[in-house]
Amino acid sequence: MMETLVRLAIAFGTLSILGFGGGKGIIPQMHDDAVTQFHWVTSEQFAQFYTIGKLVPGPTTIFGALVGYRAAGYVGAAVAAAALFLPSSLLMMLAGAAWRRFSASSWKDVVSVGLAPVVIGLVWSSVFTVAKGTIQGPAAIAIALLITALTLRTALSAPLLIALGAAGGLAFLR
Amino acid sequence: MMPSRRRPGGRAGPSLWELASAFGLISLTGFGGGQRAQIRRQVVSRKHWITDQDFIEALEVAELLPGPNVLNLAVFIGQRLRGVPGAVVSLIAGSVPPFLLVLVAGAFYFSKFNTPLVRSALSGATAAAVGLTLANALELTAATRKRPLNLVIIAATVVSVTYFKLSLVLTLLIFGGLSMVVYAWSKRKTTMPTR
Repeated sequence: MMETLVRLAIAFGTLSILGFGGGKGIIPQMHDDAVTQFHWVTSEQFAQFYTIGKLVPGPTTIFGALVGYRAAGYVGAAVAAAALFLPSSLLMMLAGAAWRRFSASSWKDVVSVGLAPVVIGLVWSSVFTVAKGTIQGPAAIAIALLITALTLRTALSAPLLIALGAAGGLAFLR
Repeated sequence: MMPSRRRPGGRAGPSLWELASAFGLISLTGFGGGQRAQIRRQVVSRKHWITDQDFIEALEVAELLPGPNVLNLAVFIGQRLRGVPGAVVSLIAGSVPPFLLVLVAGAFYFSKFNTPLVRSALSGATAAAVGLTLANALELTAATRKRPLNLVIIAATVVSVTYFKLSLVLTLLIFGGLSMVVYAWSKRKTTMPTR
Protein backbone atom coordinates (compact mmCIF):
# COMPACT_ATOMS: atom_id res chain seq x y z
CA MET A 1 0.00 0.00 0.00
CA MET A 2 2.68 2.46 1.12
CA GLU A 3 4.78 1.41 -1.85
CA THR A 4 1.90 2.14 -4.23
CA LEU A 5 1.38 5.59 -2.70
CA VAL A 6 5.07 6.41 -3.14
CA ARG A 7 4.94 5.23 -6.75
CA LEU A 8 1.84 7.35 -7.37
CA ALA A 9 3.49 10.39 -5.81
CA ILE A 10 6.69 9.99 -7.84
CA ALA A 11 4.94 9.23 -11.14
CA PHE A 12 2.38 12.04 -10.90
CA GLY A 13 4.80 14.48 -9.29
CA THR A 14 7.10 14.01 -12.28
CA LEU A 15 4.18 14.61 -14.65
CA SER A 16 3.34 17.78 -12.74
CA ILE A 17 6.82 19.25 -13.26
CA LEU A 18 6.82 18.20 -16.94
CA GLY A 19 3.27 19.43 -17.66
CA PHE A 20 4.15 22.20 -20.09
CA GLY A 21 1.45 23.65 -22.31
CA GLY A 22 -1.17 23.54 -19.54
CA GLY A 23 -0.60 19.84 -18.93
CA LYS A 24 -1.93 18.80 -22.35
CA GLY A 25 1.21 16.81 -23.11
CA ILE A 26 1.32 14.45 -20.14
CA ILE A 27 -1.40 12.02 -21.28
CA PRO A 28 0.83 9.53 -23.17
CA GLN A 29 3.32 9.26 -20.27
CA MET A 30 0.50 8.98 -17.71
CA HIS A 31 -1.00 6.16 -19.81
CA ASP A 32 2.36 4.44 -19.96
CA ASP A 33 2.82 4.68 -16.17
CA ALA A 34 -0.75 3.80 -15.16
CA VAL A 35 -1.49 1.07 -17.74
CA THR A 36 1.75 -0.45 -19.03
CA GLN A 37 4.13 -0.09 -16.13
CA PHE A 38 2.11 -0.30 -12.92
CA HIS A 39 -1.16 -1.88 -14.15
CA TRP A 40 -3.28 0.42 -12.01
CA VAL A 41 -5.97 0.67 -14.72
CA THR A 42 -6.77 -0.90 -18.09
CA SER A 43 -6.33 1.06 -21.29
CA GLU A 44 -10.10 1.29 -21.64
CA GLN A 45 -10.56 2.57 -18.08
CA PHE A 46 -7.84 5.15 -18.67
CA ALA A 47 -9.67 6.46 -21.74
CA GLN A 48 -12.96 6.57 -19.83
CA PHE A 49 -11.36 8.41 -16.89
CA TYR A 50 -9.90 10.88 -19.38
CA THR A 51 -13.42 11.43 -20.69
CA ILE A 52 -14.72 12.03 -17.16
CA GLY A 53 -11.88 14.55 -16.73
CA LYS A 54 -13.15 16.44 -19.76
CA LEU A 55 -16.72 16.29 -18.51
CA VAL A 56 -16.01 17.65 -15.02
CA PRO A 57 -15.22 21.39 -14.64
CA GLY A 58 -11.63 22.28 -13.84
CA PRO A 59 -8.35 20.91 -15.24
CA THR A 60 -8.78 17.75 -17.38
CA THR A 61 -5.78 16.12 -15.67
CA ILE A 62 -7.79 15.90 -12.43
CA PHE A 63 -8.88 12.51 -13.80
CA GLY A 64 -5.51 11.29 -12.48
CA ALA A 65 -7.31 11.13 -9.10
CA LEU A 66 -9.40 8.25 -10.48
CA VAL A 67 -6.22 6.43 -11.49
CA GLY A 68 -5.01 7.00 -7.93
CA TYR A 69 -8.32 5.69 -6.59
CA ARG A 70 -7.94 2.50 -8.62
CA ALA A 71 -4.39 2.08 -7.37
CA ALA A 72 -4.93 2.78 -3.65
CA GLY A 73 -8.49 3.85 -2.80
CA TYR A 74 -9.42 7.32 -1.61
CA VAL A 75 -5.97 7.94 -0.12
CA GLY A 76 -4.52 7.09 -3.53
CA ALA A 77 -6.90 9.56 -5.15
CA ALA A 78 -5.79 12.32 -2.77
CA VAL A 79 -2.09 11.51 -3.23
CA ALA A 80 -2.46 11.47 -7.01
CA ALA A 81 -4.28 14.82 -7.10
CA ALA A 82 -1.81 16.44 -4.70
CA ALA A 83 1.16 15.10 -6.67
CA LEU A 84 -0.36 16.37 -9.92
CA PHE A 85 -1.01 19.92 -8.74
CA LEU A 86 1.34 20.76 -5.84
CA PRO A 87 4.74 20.68 -7.58
CA SER A 88 3.62 22.84 -10.53
CA SER A 89 1.89 25.26 -8.14
CA LEU A 90 5.06 25.53 -6.05
CA LEU A 91 7.01 26.40 -9.20
CA MET A 92 4.38 29.00 -9.96
CA MET A 93 4.80 30.52 -6.48
CA LEU A 94 8.58 30.64 -6.90
CA ALA A 95 8.10 32.35 -10.25
CA GLY A 96 5.67 34.78 -8.65
CA ALA A 97 8.24 35.66 -5.99
CA ALA A 98 10.99 36.19 -8.59
CA TRP A 99 8.62 37.83 -11.04
CA ARG A 100 10.44 41.15 -11.52
CA ARG A 101 13.64 39.47 -12.67
CA PHE A 102 11.67 36.84 -14.53
CA SER A 103 9.60 39.23 -16.63
CA ALA A 104 12.57 40.88 -18.31
CA SER A 105 14.38 37.73 -19.44
CA SER A 106 14.30 36.77 -23.11
CA TRP A 107 14.40 32.99 -22.60
CA LYS A 108 10.67 33.11 -21.78
CA ASP A 109 9.98 33.49 -25.47
CA VAL A 110 12.47 30.75 -26.33
CA VAL A 111 10.81 28.29 -23.94
CA SER A 112 7.23 28.97 -25.03
CA VAL A 113 7.89 29.09 -28.79
CA GLY A 114 10.43 26.25 -28.60
CA LEU A 115 8.27 23.84 -26.61
CA ALA A 116 5.05 24.56 -28.53
CA PRO A 117 5.59 22.01 -31.37
CA VAL A 118 6.60 19.30 -28.89
CA VAL A 119 3.41 19.87 -26.88
CA ILE A 120 1.38 19.71 -30.13
CA GLY A 121 3.08 16.43 -31.01
CA LEU A 122 2.17 15.12 -27.55
CA VAL A 123 -1.47 16.12 -28.11
CA TRP A 124 -1.46 14.08 -31.34
CA SER A 125 0.01 11.15 -29.39
CA SER A 126 -2.77 11.58 -26.80
CA VAL A 127 -5.32 11.13 -29.59
CA PHE A 128 -3.77 7.78 -30.55
CA THR A 129 -3.25 6.76 -26.91
CA VAL A 130 -6.88 7.33 -25.95
CA ALA A 131 -8.29 6.01 -29.23
CA LYS A 132 -6.34 2.76 -29.08
CA GLY A 133 -8.49 0.02 -27.62
CA THR A 134 -11.52 2.27 -27.14
CA ILE A 135 -12.50 3.32 -30.65
CA GLN A 136 -13.68 0.06 -32.15
CA GLY A 137 -15.83 -0.22 -35.23
CA PRO A 138 -17.19 2.27 -37.74
CA ALA A 139 -19.83 3.76 -35.40
CA ALA A 140 -17.26 4.89 -32.82
CA ILE A 141 -15.04 6.30 -35.57
CA ALA A 142 -18.03 8.17 -37.00
CA ILE A 143 -18.88 9.66 -33.58
CA ALA A 144 -15.26 10.75 -33.03
CA LEU A 145 -15.03 12.41 -36.45
CA LEU A 146 -18.43 14.06 -36.14
CA ILE A 147 -17.42 15.57 -32.77
CA THR A 148 -14.11 16.69 -34.31
CA ALA A 149 -16.00 18.53 -37.04
CA LEU A 150 -18.47 20.04 -34.56
CA THR A 151 -15.62 21.25 -32.33
CA LEU A 152 -13.91 22.92 -35.28
CA ARG A 153 -17.02 24.40 -36.88
CA THR A 154 -19.31 25.32 -33.97
CA ALA A 155 -18.94 26.97 -30.56
CA LEU A 156 -20.57 24.09 -28.64
CA SER A 157 -18.96 23.47 -25.24
CA ALA A 158 -16.92 20.36 -24.44
CA PRO A 159 -19.40 18.85 -21.93
CA LEU A 160 -22.23 19.30 -24.41
CA LEU A 161 -20.26 17.58 -27.17
CA ILE A 162 -19.38 14.70 -24.83
CA ALA A 163 -23.08 14.38 -23.92
CA LEU A 164 -23.82 14.25 -27.65
CA GLY A 165 -21.26 11.46 -27.99
CA ALA A 166 -22.90 9.61 -25.10
CA ALA A 167 -26.25 9.84 -26.89
CA GLY A 168 -24.58 8.51 -30.02
CA GLY A 169 -23.14 5.67 -27.94
CA LEU A 170 -26.60 4.77 -26.61
CA ALA A 171 -27.98 4.72 -30.13
CA PHE A 172 -25.20 2.94 -32.01
CA LEU A 173 -22.75 1.28 -29.61
CA ARG A 174 -24.89 -1.35 -27.90
CA MET B 1 -12.69 37.84 8.99
CA MET B 2 -9.16 38.69 7.88
CA PRO B 3 -8.46 42.40 7.54
CA SER B 4 -7.96 43.48 3.93
CA ARG B 5 -4.45 44.44 3.01
CA ARG B 6 -3.96 47.97 1.69
CA ARG B 7 -2.28 48.02 -1.68
CA PRO B 8 -0.12 50.81 -3.14
CA GLY B 9 -2.99 52.05 -5.26
CA GLY B 10 -4.91 52.76 -2.05
CA ARG B 11 -7.53 50.15 -2.89
CA ALA B 12 -8.08 47.41 -0.32
CA GLY B 13 -7.14 43.91 -1.51
CA PRO B 14 -9.54 41.00 -1.17
CA SER B 15 -9.64 38.88 1.98
CA LEU B 16 -8.59 35.24 1.81
CA TRP B 17 -12.24 34.29 1.99
CA GLU B 18 -13.08 36.49 -1.00
CA LEU B 19 -10.22 34.86 -2.96
CA ALA B 20 -11.46 31.39 -2.01
CA SER B 21 -15.05 32.07 -3.03
CA ALA B 22 -14.04 33.71 -6.33
CA PHE B 23 -11.73 30.89 -7.48
CA GLY B 24 -13.94 28.20 -5.97
CA LEU B 25 -16.88 29.43 -7.99
CA ILE B 26 -14.80 29.69 -11.18
CA SER B 27 -13.45 26.14 -10.70
CA LEU B 28 -16.98 24.79 -10.40
CA THR B 29 -18.54 26.57 -13.36
CA GLY B 30 -15.86 26.89 -16.00
CA PHE B 31 -14.51 24.59 -18.67
CA GLY B 32 -11.19 24.87 -20.48
CA GLY B 33 -10.58 28.12 -22.32
CA GLY B 34 -13.76 29.75 -21.06
CA GLN B 35 -12.33 29.85 -17.56
CA ARG B 36 -9.60 32.29 -18.52
CA ALA B 37 -12.17 34.83 -19.69
CA GLN B 38 -14.16 34.19 -16.54
CA ILE B 39 -11.19 34.86 -14.26
CA ARG B 40 -10.43 38.04 -16.19
CA ARG B 41 -14.03 39.20 -15.81
CA GLN B 42 -13.99 38.47 -12.08
CA VAL B 43 -10.61 39.83 -11.00
CA VAL B 44 -10.19 42.66 -13.54
CA SER B 45 -13.57 43.94 -14.73
CA ARG B 46 -15.82 43.27 -11.76
CA LYS B 47 -13.71 43.34 -8.60
CA HIS B 48 -10.76 45.45 -9.88
CA TRP B 49 -8.31 43.37 -7.86
CA ILE B 50 -5.63 43.66 -10.54
CA THR B 51 -5.16 45.70 -13.72
CA ASP B 52 -5.59 44.29 -17.19
CA GLN B 53 -1.84 44.61 -17.75
CA ASP B 54 -1.17 42.56 -14.60
CA PHE B 55 -3.64 39.94 -15.81
CA ILE B 56 -1.90 39.60 -19.16
CA GLU B 57 1.45 39.19 -17.40
CA ALA B 58 -0.03 36.60 -15.05
CA LEU B 59 -1.48 34.67 -17.99
CA GLU B 60 1.89 34.73 -19.72
CA VAL B 61 3.65 33.11 -16.74
CA ALA B 62 0.75 30.70 -16.15
CA GLU B 63 0.99 29.42 -19.73
CA LEU B 64 4.77 29.31 -19.76
CA LEU B 65 5.25 27.18 -16.65
CA PRO B 66 4.08 23.55 -16.28
CA GLY B 67 0.67 22.87 -14.77
CA PRO B 68 -2.97 23.60 -15.65
CA ASN B 69 -3.16 27.20 -16.92
CA VAL B 70 -6.22 28.16 -14.90
CA LEU B 71 -4.81 26.76 -11.65
CA ASN B 72 -1.46 28.48 -12.27
CA LEU B 73 -3.31 31.71 -12.93
CA ALA B 74 -5.26 31.40 -9.66
CA VAL B 75 -2.05 30.69 -7.70
CA PHE B 76 -0.24 33.66 -9.27
CA ILE B 77 -3.10 36.11 -8.70
CA GLY B 78 -3.66 34.82 -5.15
CA GLN B 79 0.03 35.34 -4.39
CA ARG B 80 0.02 38.82 -5.92
CA LEU B 81 -2.91 39.87 -3.79
CA ARG B 82 -2.34 38.12 -0.47
CA GLY B 83 1.14 36.58 -0.53
CA VAL B 84 1.78 32.89 0.09
CA PRO B 85 -1.48 32.36 2.08
CA GLY B 86 -3.36 33.84 -0.89
CA ALA B 87 -1.62 31.44 -3.27
CA VAL B 88 -2.39 28.43 -1.07
CA VAL B 89 -6.04 29.43 -0.63
CA SER B 90 -6.46 29.99 -4.39
CA LEU B 91 -4.86 26.62 -5.14
CA ILE B 92 -7.19 24.82 -2.73
CA ALA B 93 -10.26 26.69 -4.00
CA GLY B 94 -9.32 25.94 -7.61
CA SER B 95 -8.51 22.26 -7.21
CA VAL B 96 -10.58 20.74 -4.39
CA PRO B 97 -14.05 21.24 -5.97
CA PRO B 98 -13.04 19.54 -9.27
CA PHE B 99 -11.34 16.79 -7.24
CA LEU B 100 -14.56 16.10 -5.31
CA LEU B 101 -16.64 16.17 -8.50
CA VAL B 102 -14.35 13.70 -10.25
CA LEU B 103 -14.59 11.41 -7.19
CA VAL B 104 -18.40 11.55 -7.35
CA ALA B 105 -18.25 10.62 -11.05
CA GLY B 106 -15.79 7.83 -10.17
CA ALA B 107 -18.04 6.50 -7.38
CA PHE B 108 -20.84 6.25 -9.93
CA TYR B 109 -18.51 4.60 -12.45
CA PHE B 110 -17.55 1.87 -9.96
CA SER B 111 -21.09 1.38 -8.61
CA LYS B 112 -23.76 -1.11 -9.62
CA PHE B 113 -25.40 1.69 -11.59
CA ASN B 114 -22.73 1.25 -14.25
CA THR B 115 -25.01 -0.93 -16.35
CA PRO B 116 -24.41 -2.05 -19.95
CA LEU B 117 -26.56 0.90 -21.01
CA VAL B 118 -24.29 3.34 -19.14
CA ARG B 119 -21.26 1.62 -20.66
CA SER B 120 -22.66 2.22 -24.17
CA ALA B 121 -23.08 5.88 -23.32
CA LEU B 122 -19.56 6.01 -21.92
CA SER B 123 -18.14 4.41 -25.08
CA GLY B 124 -19.82 7.12 -27.13
CA ALA B 125 -18.58 9.78 -24.71
CA THR B 126 -15.03 8.43 -24.99
CA ALA B 127 -15.25 8.56 -28.79
CA ALA B 128 -16.36 12.19 -28.39
CA ALA B 129 -13.39 12.93 -26.09
CA VAL B 130 -11.08 11.53 -28.78
CA GLY B 131 -12.83 13.82 -31.26
CA LEU B 132 -12.31 16.85 -29.00
CA THR B 133 -8.61 16.05 -28.62
CA LEU B 134 -8.21 15.47 -32.37
CA ALA B 135 -9.83 18.85 -33.06
CA ASN B 136 -7.44 20.44 -30.56
CA ALA B 137 -4.45 18.80 -32.28
CA LEU B 138 -5.65 19.98 -35.71
CA GLU B 139 -6.23 23.55 -34.52
CA LEU B 140 -2.85 23.78 -32.79
CA THR B 141 -1.07 22.34 -35.81
CA ALA B 142 -2.82 24.70 -38.23
CA ALA B 143 -1.84 27.66 -36.04
CA THR B 144 1.85 26.74 -36.09
CA ARG B 145 2.28 25.52 -39.67
CA LYS B 146 3.98 28.75 -40.81
CA ARG B 147 7.25 27.50 -39.33
CA PRO B 148 8.12 24.39 -41.38
CA LEU B 149 10.51 23.15 -38.68
CA ASN B 150 7.56 22.94 -36.29
CA LEU B 151 5.86 20.36 -38.51
CA VAL B 152 9.05 18.27 -38.51
CA ILE B 153 9.27 18.43 -34.72
CA ILE B 154 5.57 17.62 -34.33
CA ALA B 155 5.96 14.56 -36.60
CA ALA B 156 9.16 13.41 -34.86
CA THR B 157 7.48 13.74 -31.44
CA VAL B 158 4.37 11.82 -32.51
CA VAL B 159 6.36 8.92 -33.99
CA SER B 160 8.83 8.73 -31.07
CA VAL B 161 6.17 8.87 -28.38
CA THR B 162 3.44 6.80 -30.02
CA TYR B 163 5.51 4.05 -31.64
CA PHE B 164 8.81 4.04 -29.77
CA LYS B 165 7.36 4.96 -26.35
CA LEU B 166 9.96 7.67 -25.79
CA SER B 167 9.51 9.00 -22.25
CA LEU B 168 8.15 12.49 -21.61
CA VAL B 169 11.42 13.65 -20.01
CA LEU B 170 13.51 12.59 -23.00
CA THR B 171 10.93 13.92 -25.47
CA LEU B 172 11.07 17.37 -23.86
CA LEU B 173 14.86 17.28 -23.55
CA ILE B 174 15.61 16.06 -27.09
CA PHE B 175 12.91 17.62 -29.27
CA GLY B 176 12.15 20.54 -26.96
CA GLY B 177 15.86 21.26 -26.56
CA LEU B 178 16.46 21.06 -30.32
CA SER B 179 13.47 23.26 -31.07
CA MET B 180 14.49 25.85 -28.46
CA VAL B 181 18.11 25.96 -29.67
CA VAL B 182 17.04 26.43 -33.29
CA TYR B 183 14.57 29.14 -32.34
CA ALA B 184 17.07 30.98 -30.10
CA TRP B 185 19.67 30.79 -32.88
CA SER B 186 17.30 32.08 -35.58
CA LYS B 187 16.22 34.91 -33.29
CA ARG B 188 19.82 35.91 -32.65
CA LYS B 189 20.55 35.86 -36.36
CA THR B 190 17.63 38.16 -37.16
CA THR B 191 18.49 40.63 -34.39
CA MET B 192 22.25 40.63 -35.07
CA PRO B 193 22.35 43.21 -37.93
CA THR B 194 20.59 45.84 -35.81
CA ARG B 195 23.40 45.88 -33.25
